[in-house]
Amino acid sequence: MIRFLTISLLLTLLLTSCGTYKYPTSSGIRSIAPKEVNTYYADTAQAYVYRTRLTAFQKEINGNLVVKSISPETHRLALLSDFGQTLFDISVFSDTYVVHYAMADLNKKKVVKEVASLFRLLTSRRFATEALIFPTQQYFPVYVANGDYYTYEERNLVEIKHVKGSKERFSVRFSDVQDALPQQIDIKHKRYPLSLSLQLDSAQSEL
Amino acid sequence: MKANLGYRIVKNWVKLMLLAVCLLPLAGWAQMKAMSAQEVQAFQQALKQLATVKTLSADFVQYKHLSFMKKPVESSGKLFIVQPDRLSWSYTAPFNYKMVFKDNKIFINDEGKKRSMDLGNSKQFEKISKLVTNSMQGGRYDEKEFAVAYFKDGGNDVVRLTPKLSEAKKYIQEIVLRFSSTNRQVQEVKLVEPSKDYTRFVLKNTQINKQIHDSVFDY
Repeated sequence: MIRFLTISLLLTLLLTSCGTYKYPTSSGIRSIAPKEVNTYYADTAQAYVYRTRLTAFQKEINGNLVVKSISPETHRLALLSDFGQTLFDISVFSDTYVVHYAMADLNKKKVVKEVASLFRLLTSRRFATEALIFPTQQYFPVYVANGDYYTYEERNLVEIKHVKGSKERFSVRFSDVQDALPQQIDIKHKRYPLSLSLQLDSAQSEL
Repeated sequence: MKANLGYRIVKNWVKLMLLAVCLLPLAGWAQMKAMSAQEVQAFQQALKQLATVKTLSADFVQYKHLSFMKKPVESSGKLFIVQPDRLSWSYTAPFNYKMVFKDNKIFINDEGKKRSMDLGNSKQFEKISKLVTNSMQGGRYDEKEFAVAYFKDGGNDVVRLTPKLSEAKKYIQEIVLRFSSTNRQVQEVKLVEPSKDYTRFVLKNTQINKQIHDSVFDY
């Protein structure tokens, strides 16, 4: 009896600590031929300027997010305040990042790592090798790449859910897609009170 | 991420801009030539003879230069200063954002959303405010805080201020002020960040000692 209880307890601990993320409404996952996902920022001839409203811990900062494609998987992003101060200037690669500059107040390892992760998710092209299965046909396709979930509607990527462990870490929502480019992006962190609202500034972008 | 980040960004910016824009009685672009001792003396003498600045109004265009972008990110607006302690800095394109510095507070109007920040207990602001006031009234800046270098660039006089204090060095590598050769007014202010990226403010339609209506400082 004691052995049974011990094993049960260990199993419970293992199952709760190593749980996997379950996408809402999905009933399973299937393998697919590699599919390219998130190609919005693949053109290396272009650079994009988004008007940005950052809300962090009930404080608001306005500015611009500048995105330059170096390759489909490599991008350089700079977050600027309206006064022209650079808050972050980071190059993100598929599995690493390089900080060119981070404002002194923000230059904390944990913060920079989180920002780089968010920048990578936002811009990096991926190849999905799995897709979700839904109980009925009425759901839009959701592809899985690197453990993240890419939802498509009418051939446009509309949402990425970034998952860490068993929990959703942050979500990126693309909307008003024109000429294969989202005019509006909304990013929400699920753990911290942090969100970004981005609006494409075509006049300032190099399109 | 710090809860007071927004406040710190505004605070740091105000410190730098107040300093840069208002160092009027003083003064890196490429091919600048260092002034000789005689030229520096003549330049300082000419500035001393200018009327004391009591009010200032100007239009500005802000260019944020990033090394990896072909063209700068641009915005524009208006600047008003009334001595001893009032400043209005507003962006009008491509967005509306107004910041008013008065009564020891910063008032912000962000596309109609209003908020204020108290600066009453900030010793740094007291120091900056004093520096600005002294500068605009023909005083001298504190050489303990900045290394100062004077240059000639074509017909323009240029002054480069390099922070000496570690707190300022974190945010700014140097401030470069370019003066008009004709009326000795500041034409451009360039704030260079430690990464070498910089923001250039070009001032136009500058008016000194013209009456400025109080409503400018409403927000």
